[in-house]
Amino acid sequence: MSTKKYSDNNLIVEKIKKFRSKAIKQKHNYEEKQLDKPISFWIKEDRLLKKKGKEFTIILRTKGCSWALGPDGGCSMCGYVQDSTFEKIDQAHIKNQINYAFQQKLTEIEEDKEDYVLKIYNSGSFFDDDEISESTRDFIYKKIAKIPKIKELVIESRVDYITQEKLIKMRSSLDIYIEVAIGLETVNDHIRNAYINKGLFFKDFLEAIHLCKINDIGVRAYLLFKPPFLNEQTAIDDCVSSILKLAELKVNTISINPLNIQKNTLIEYLFYQKRYRPPWFYSLFKCIVKACHERDILKEVRIISSPSGAGSKRGIHNCLKRECNEVMIKSLRNFVLTQDINHLIRSDKDYSCDCLVKYHLQKRYI
Amino acid sequence: MNYFFELITKGVGFSRIGRIICSKESKRFISTPNIIIPMKKSLMNNLKFLEEFEDHEIFLILKDFYLQIGFLRDKFKKTGFIYTHNGSMESFKGILASNIDIFTEDNIIPSIPFNTPTTVINKEFAEEEIKIFIEESNHILQQHNNLDFGLSIKIYDYSELFDLYIPIIKNNKNVRILNLVDLFDNFNNFRNIIKIIFKIKQELDNNLVLMVSGRIIPKFYPILIYLGVDLIDSSYLLYLSAENFYDTIEYLLPIYKIKYFPCPCTICQRDLKHSLTDKYSSEKTAQLTLHNIISAYTYMNKIKLYMRMEDFRGFIEKSSFDDMNIISTLRVLDNQYFNILKYETPLTQINKVINCHGALSYNRQDFQGFRERLINRFTPESWTKLIIILPCSAKKPYSESRSHKKFHSVIRNYHDFPDFQEIILTSPLGAIPRQLEDIYPVNSYDISVTGEWDNEEITIASNMLISLLEKFDERIPILCHVKDLGYFKIIENARSKIKNKIYFTEVKNNLTSNESLLSLEEKISELKDSYNLGDVIPENKNFLKTLTRKFFKIIDYQFGLNTGNKIFCNGIKTWRNKRSHQIEISDLLTREKLGKFNASSGQIELNLKGANRMLPFSENSNYIVFDGQKINGNTLFRPGIVSFSPSLVPKDIVVIFDKNKEKIIGLGSLIVGSNYIKNSITGKIVNVYEKI
Repeated sequence: MSTKKYSDNNLIVEKIKKFRSKAIKQKHNYEEKQLDKPISFWIKEDRLLKKKGKEFTIILRTKGCSWALGPDGGCSMCGYVQDSTFEKIDQAHIKNQINYAFQQKLTEIEEDKEDYVLKIYNSGSFFDDDEISESTRDFIYKKIAKIPKIKELVIESRVDYITQEKLIKMRSSLDIYIEVAIGLETVNDHIRNAYINKGLFFKDFLEAIHLCKINDIGVRAYLLFKPPFLNEQTAIDDCVSSILKLAELKVNTISINPLNIQKNTLIEYLFYQKRYRPPWFYSLFKCIVKACHERDILKEVRIISSPSGAGSKRGIHNCLKRECNEVMIKSLRNFVLTQDINHLIRSDKDYSCDCLVKYHLQKRYI
Repeated sequence: MNYFFELITKGVGFSRIGRIICSKESKRFISTPNIIIPMKKSLMNNLKFLEEFEDHEIFLILKDFYLQIGFLRDKFKKTGFIYTHNGSMESFKGILASNIDIFTEDNIIPSIPFNTPTTVINKEFAEEEIKIFIEESNHILQQHNNLDFGLSIKIYDYSELFDLYIPIIKNNKNVRILNLVDLFDNFNNFRNIIKIIFKIKQELDNNLVLMVSGRIIPKFYPILIYLGVDLIDSSYLLYLSAENFYDTIEYLLPIYKIKYFPCPCTICQRDLKHSLTDKYSSEKTAQLTLHNIISAYTYMNKIKLYMRMEDFRGFIEKSSFDDMNIISTLRVLDNQYFNILKYETPLTQINKVINCHGALSYNRQDFQGFRERLINRFTPESWTKLIIILPCSAKKPYSESRSHKKFHSVIRNYHDFPDFQEIILTSPLGAIPRQLEDIYPVNSYDISVTGEWDNEEITIASNMLISLLEKFDERIPILCHVKDLGYFKIIENARSKIKNKIYFTEVKNNLTSNESLLSLEEKISELKDSYNLGDVIPENKNFLKTLTRKFFKIIDYQFGLNTGNKIFCNGIKTWRNKRSHQIEISDLLTREKLGKFNASSGQIELNLKGANRMLPFSENSNYIVFDGQKINGNTLFRPGIVSFSPSLVPKDIVVIFDKNKEKIIGLGSLIVGSNYIKNSITGKIVNVYEKI
């Protein structure tokens, strides 16, 4: 599989590249020491496949996403590449980053009663040899295999790099539930390629699912909630149809990522010009409820969402009242942990903000 | 009837009063122009909304919940609906398919939405997206070819992209409503807006209903209607209400600035007054929304009323002072699009005072149309031996004013006064020969008079005076009985272009003082025989009678040069019909009735006998060739028309010929002009008032 050029994406590529080059100009020169520590790592509550548990997330600093650094400019909303080095780095640094994170958190994990899901993210593709080499991957597998508390592993990759060999290798190295997270963003090819510039066709995603399934590896699909150029209702419609389609395909997990405004991206430019507003919580809730209510989707698929920048101007938010957004964040977290849709269905007893009326009156225009 | 929109009356510019036929059986119609009120839960929950808008004619439905047939039938029996969806095209298609029975019913029209993308990054991007939308829409339109649709049109500020939509509209007869989604979002682009409107009117069926949605606020309603818009979606007011804006029509004010409520609606006078102090409150937003919708609705009612009862152009001019872009739009339309709009704007209005509000009124279409037609169709009487230039009067017709009565007391003392051609100088119409003082708009305009003329007024009057005087023999003396500087400037301008000798009376105090009138008398006596007429005095002395002179010139003005000589060749006898306030006209010799002069419209309504005298018919005159030998009924419809003269103006009198164009088979008053006839395949064209 290779990334195919989407026929009409050149219309947006030049614009994206303009912002990407701005990001590259602002490149940070990392010292050797900094390269030995991951960008970030944390432990927090999370939903495991069938029960509540905890996540141990490590964000590795690598060369950066090849799609974002390549001639196609990357995705219109993604600015994660800013945390990368842009140049190939010695794989020893990456191993050191893993070691560092485990050193810091291993005791906590081992002493915890809860089971863990380990999420290794590199703001790119885990299977891209340019970012993480085969030997580094082997090193990581061995490291994980030694920690019995880790029951699940999530890594992310573009479909271009998911190959039979790599999956077999991973499967044979680890005896835990593995999920490969793929940024599908939407089931709609046009939105994905013309608006997001993902450079991915749905049929390629289907092939990737097939590969994972035959290797007994789970699939986590990322959906982007309210991609650029969509209004609230279209975002709801698009995400609902994506959830239904993915449920039909029996993906294991659907992770909904409400768009947040990242630096030096096309979406930031549209945001500053008031041509884009990050989604409302109301829309996200409506979307999940619409997709799951009266259907048994949640029995088959785990739906999760942990929005970045939630409650801020640049992230998913309702009005800018702290209380209003906190209530929403809490409800969403409860839903993710319990997979109980009732957390998203508001009742009269619940806290109700005046901005709901505003949302209803304005959503046609934003 | 097999059409959807029916034009009832054509107004100024592209404005029109019409109706959308929802149900032929139950005679359910939506009158246009109208505003579309969104059916939102937040509004529907308010009892006052239901009370206020129970009888409103058209709503916008955005949720399939409201499509429930019982709901529509029970709650809003007299109402029409437009359904659209705010989300994806896929969802719209799904809703359409699952509610197909409801859409097949006649009072709900689905409008194909164009929501994605919300914005574009360049023209190519926009073009690609529009092409995709058109492809999908085409599919829907063809799949449901028995269903009428509205089609959303988005151009993303690239007016040239409108051309992409033309084929889909032309090829799918079930597109009945064009919903211009973003055309009016930025009125600074008024030139592009005008271009697109003209494209629609010139290239597409004129029976398409024009709907606008997007960022529209009520102060733009009059100009939108002037541009031919039939339906205005008021949904943007919901957005503004949520941003705490209070609409006073003239202004959009943040609610915190409202110290006094200018609106008498119950929401303002009770609820909103009390919740004004609440900083954030959903109740306040709901009340504000309701006020803003009521305010827009009331304003639309006012517009509808003025379209029927008052001079609508005057109202548009008044409303234009609230936004410079409206003024610019009117100016551009008047100055650059007159040659098209002159076939859209009637040259008559009945019982209306035409107030001129300054420079914006000088070149309104009907004034320009009047000037052009007068210059083209007025010919001097062969027996004219003196031209007298007089100022205008406030009272119309001029001859009924005190000043003109005094002038006449001098002029008409001469037995040969019919040999004098009186020309009245006036702003902003120009120069009016006395014979045409009873026609529109001379009989009904009004302007503030201070004696000061601006340059444009002087130019207009000078040009018209020059054009008129050039038609006369250069040896005929011109006597000017005028006072103010403006008049002198006009005459000076004329003097530089014509060869006639120009004389002035000696005016003391004012034009009607005894000294001034004496001077007028002396000058007339001095000049009236200075030009030797020869033997051009008509044998038929009836031609010299005041009314005969008027009707000769009025019929020429209506039907073209020399028509008066053909119809009234024997002279005329007239009598006033006291009941109808009309002047009946018959042949002096044969006593045949030829027609009647309607003082309200300023038009002569010929009868068939009168019209037949126009044969052989001039191609430049108003005619329509009917596809048959005999007209049934009192209305001529578009399909029955074989050919027509290219310069028809709404409300003009028109001669209807049989199929072979050999015989006049009827006469009527045009409902529409030649632009409309050219660009439509259905619709009413002529109200026939006489037929064989």
